[in-house]
Amino acid sequence: MANKGELLLEMNKVAKRFGGAVALKGTDLKIRAGEIHALLGENGAGKSTMLKILAGVHVNDGGTIKLGSKDFVTGSPQESINQGIAVIYQEPSLFLDLSLAENVFIGRQPKKGAVIDWKFAQSEAARLFKELGVELDPKRQARGLSIADQQVVEIAKALSMNANIILMDEPTAALSASEVDRLMTVMKSLKAANKAVIFVSHRLDEVFAISDYITVMRDGATVSENPVGDTNLQKVIKDMVGRELTELFPKTEHKIGGVVLEVNDLTNPAYFRNVSFNVKKGEIVALAGLVGSGRSEIARAIFGIDKYESGTVKVNGEVLPAGSPVIAMERKIALVPEDRRQQGLFMVAGVDRNISMESFSALTDRGLINFKKERSLTETWKEKLSIKFANQSDPVDRLSGGNQQKTVLAKWLATDPDLLIVDEPTRGIDVATKAEVHRLVDKAAGEGKAVLMISSELPEVLGMADRVIVMREGKQVAELSRAEATQEKIIAAATTGKKSA
Amino acid sequence: MNFLRRLKPSSREGSLALILIVAVGGTGLINPRFLTGDGTRDLFTSTSVVALLAIGIAPIVIMRHIDLSISSTVGLTAWVVADMCAKNPDFTWVQCFVVGPIIGIAVGIVNGLLVAGLRLPSLVVTLGTLYIVRGFVYVVSNSVDYNAQEMPPSLLDLGQKVFFGLLPFTFLLVIIAMLLMGFFMKYTKSGRDAYAIGSNPPAADLVGIKVFRRTFLAFVFSGFMAGLAGVFYLMRFAQVDSTAFYGQELAVVAAVVIGGVTIMGGSGTVVGAVIGALLVQTIQGGLAALGVDAFWKAAVNGLLLIVAIYADRVLAVRSEKSLLAQRIRERV
Amino acid sequence: MSKFFKLRSIPRSWDTAILGLLAMVLILASTTTEGFLTSLNISYIFSNTSEITIMAFAMTFLIITGEIDLSIASILALGSSMLGWSYANGAPIWLAILICLAVGTLCGFINGFLVTKVGLGSLAVTIGTLALYRGIANGILGENTVNEFPEAYTSFGFDTIGNSFMPKTLPLIIFFGLIFGFLLHRTPFGRRTLAIGQSPEAARFAGINVVRHKIIVFTFTGFMSGVAGVIYTFRFSTAQADNGVGLELLVISAILLGGVSIFGGVGTMWGVVAGVLLAGAVESWLTLREINAQWRTIVTGILLLISVAAPVLVAKNKARRERKALKS
Repeated sequence: MANKGELLLEMNKVAKRFGGAVALKGTDLKIRAGEIHALLGENGAGKSTMLKILAGVHVNDGGTIKLGSKDFVTGSPQESINQGIAVIYQEPSLFLDLSLAENVFIGRQPKKGAVIDWKFAQSEAARLFKELGVELDPKRQARGLSIADQQVVEIAKALSMNANIILMDEPTAALSASEVDRLMTVMKSLKAANKAVIFVSHRLDEVFAISDYITVMRDGATVSENPVGDTNLQKVIKDMVGRELTELFPKTEHKIGGVVLEVNDLTNPAYFRNVSFNVKKGEIVALAGLVGSGRSEIARAIFGIDKYESGTVKVNGEVLPAGSPVIAMERKIALVPEDRRQQGLFMVAGVDRNISMESFSALTDRGLINFKKERSLTETWKEKLSIKFANQSDPVDRLSGGNQQKTVLAKWLATDPDLLIVDEPTRGIDVATKAEVHRLVDKAAGEGKAVLMISSELPEVLGMADRVIVMREGKQVAELSRAEATQEKIIAAATTGKKSA
Repeated sequence: MNFLRRLKPSSREGSLALILIVAVGGTGLINPRFLTGDGTRDLFTSTSVVALLAIGIAPIVIMRHIDLSISSTVGLTAWVVADMCAKNPDFTWVQCFVVGPIIGIAVGIVNGLLVAGLRLPSLVVTLGTLYIVRGFVYVVSNSVDYNAQEMPPSLLDLGQKVFFGLLPFTFLLVIIAMLLMGFFMKYTKSGRDAYAIGSNPPAADLVGIKVFRRTFLAFVFSGFMAGLAGVFYLMRFAQVDSTAFYGQELAVVAAVVIGGVTIMGGSGTVVGAVIGALLVQTIQGGLAALGVDAFWKAAVNGLLLIVAIYADRVLAVRSEKSLLAQRIRERV
Repeated sequence: MSKFFKLRSIPRSWDTAILGLLAMVLILASTTTEGFLTSLNISYIFSNTSEITIMAFAMTFLIITGEIDLSIASILALGSSMLGWSYANGAPIWLAILICLAVGTLCGFINGFLVTKVGLGSLAVTIGTLALYRGIANGILGENTVNEFPEAYTSFGFDTIGNSFMPKTLPLIIFFGLIFGFLLHRTPFGRRTLAIGQSPEAARFAGINVVRHKIIVFTFTGFMSGVAGVIYTFRFSTAQADNGVGLELLVISAILLGGVSIFGGVGTMWGVVAGVLLAGAVESWLTLREINAQWRTIVTGILLLISVAAPVLVAKNKARRERKALKS
């Protein structure tokens, strides 16, 4: 076991590219035994990539990584485990049919001779849970365990494998406040055992409550590394965000008309409560907040994919019945979903078939699809949105992320909706295409559509929105007009629930 | 005794055993003969083949696969062994018990290579081998039948042997197999790997479980048991033709699912599978005693299967709901 | 998920491969065996595959959505038994036929209901209803068979049109084939079927009512099993509980042979037709050569394994070549 304060891990000028995109320019990180180290930064700053390199999922292209005095062997999750590094992901992947004890010891069940010693496995798992300060019955099935408890099991597993460094990728994103408290207790136990914890989080209040060190990254580089006492919320936010907003967004002023979408007191107790807002013709309203704050769930509830418990949704003055996407579409609502690969597109189907999916009424003659009309529809939108592909029948799998997103947009714009909901419209897209997508969204607003935009990218929110509504843990915490909104205010509201740091 | 306590079944098997007792009792009420030594012995004899097969495919179903070729393998084995005995009158039961499983293993190896090696869906693969083996039986047998005269007397004697007045030899073997396999599935790494593979296939790969090896061996084991069951078939019926045991694969799957080995994989025990087989057989017996037409037999099998799956589903939904409720409570 | 599930994107080239295979078999058979290309023999091929083809038309939709129905042969038997029983008990023949169709439709609906509304897996459920439906058929007719049917109908089931190669049932089959073919390839319903199989989640987000769609497809499948039941009864002039045992496996084999992926999302109707004809042609060829009829089962099994292994091997080969190209 290491001594407290001993240098366990040192990353120096680590660089990583994915094809043409630079994920890490040259990052540094120092981790000592017995410390809780927070890794902060916006989406795309490179935090996940750092963790994945340590977890053995990626191999760095440049820089050095040392574990103690030895070099870190990269490239395989098994190697990382062997070197004492364990990863806990946001969505743990346990074996739900097996007991907790078995999950902790999966693949390495303790034996007495040739036979598995369940007694020992159970008592050892119980001991680990206790050491972490959590009450869990090692004999119970993993199925039915909350995500928070599953994380604890994963941590126990890491401990049983003698991990010295435990990485946590946004561990609190899916947790409630009380579960977070418990996780913090767990982290303190790890610290007491002289392990090191590196965790990525956006919840700055929690970060300051628990961390010993804070490293802030921005655009693939380390911007600052400080003991928690030497820094504060304002400094950290500035480090995270502080670049000139060189990308100005093609936002044009639109005539704002009557209310198209009216949401009143919308509640689905598991995800969001008492949400009320409206979106007017020609307006772009952004829903900002952290992952897990309930924004996508609100969008899905409006569109009818999920049901909600109470509250009303009105479109153009009339109440919209819940739970029916078909009716929502009839009432001219369109939803461009968050995950374009799993939710927005049929990856193996052609571009034409994806684009035409919602437009059958215009494309059929007496019930049969008119292929010529389908081809011309695809051609029309190819030009309008500058979608790049070789043949209309090419599976969209072959298109770049940006062109895929444009295909999804084309599909929905083809229905000429009154309300366009876009969920993370430019996630995972290159910069040039991002600007194009923004232009398209802006144009839609200009044509009189009401646009509800969910986004975690602050420049995008500030550049595009007429109004910004900030969500935190399912509750509306702030509404800012275009003039009032600043990155600092939005982050402050999203992470602490207060209007300013 | 410690050993037996370790094998104490979890709640599903416990409740199944209870249902079995109730079913036996109920059938006994209708037909008192059922509860006698004779009746019990008959129950065991008539269940032996299916029970053995159920033990054989339990690991496979736990891994989220299926083996539909088993009944064809039973038919093949029964006929080939009978043929062999007819041509070698000096054979005893020993040779039968050796050759039978070997034939089964051969089929199992083919299934295993295709499913584990080429990663082909087990439903389709074992459907294919079901056809191929069945056709092979027809071709090889050339419509020749065998009956008791050609069987080694030692084999037939063994088929008649009863222990403690209650346990036919075949069922005794079933119990031994059940205990051995039950122990294996609970107390060895290979056994536990099967559960992991069925519960979360991608994660199993990630934690270093040798998925190919386990899957392959599971199919070989199933083939082995099917081969053995073929010998049991001979012992029980003392005759075989090219349609032996035709179409019974789904009865075995039903027994296994009723016994708690869910089609979704990841859970269930060998003990449960055997109890499932007994339960199905008992209910058949009860209905027969009630004077219900033998023809409703298949219908009842089907109904039992649906009820079993439904029960599984209800339990799953209930736990989902409580998880959601918990989340709501915490998210205030 | 794992790379295993990339099987769904197997190139449609299998559809063309099967047509080529069919052509090859036809050429080989007609050149090596006398009597293969006669109109009588061709009519045999068509009539022997009638029920399978009819059921395959609907089952294709089901498999494309990612489900399966193992109970179709039992539905056939149940429908047939009800047909025979009603007719033998005095119902006019047209009513008996309607009853058969209604029974089929109801059974299909029940399957769909259990799978979608109650949420049970289709494999396990239809294993159960396979036993249940045939059991009920047994309960209705027991060991009895009904053999007396009006001549016009049994002629419809059995005879050819004049002396041609066309059985009287062929126009009906072609009629259904066209309907289901158009339905799959040229209507929004067909697109949605493919969509559900390709990505159930994206289908939800596209506003498709997946539950309702699947129930409809299951019900179609039941209905067509009823139609097959009618044809089977008249073709063999027999209504009995044992009718059609094992046909479900033949239907699935033909469909998979035709390039429909067992995982759903991919498939063409002409591929399925080619699959059925291929199996039928091979069987006919073997019969004419007086090869033991049971070789057919072996060949069907091998064809089934090929139909599911070949795309995987082709894809693996392609991936290996692509990796080599990347390295160089």
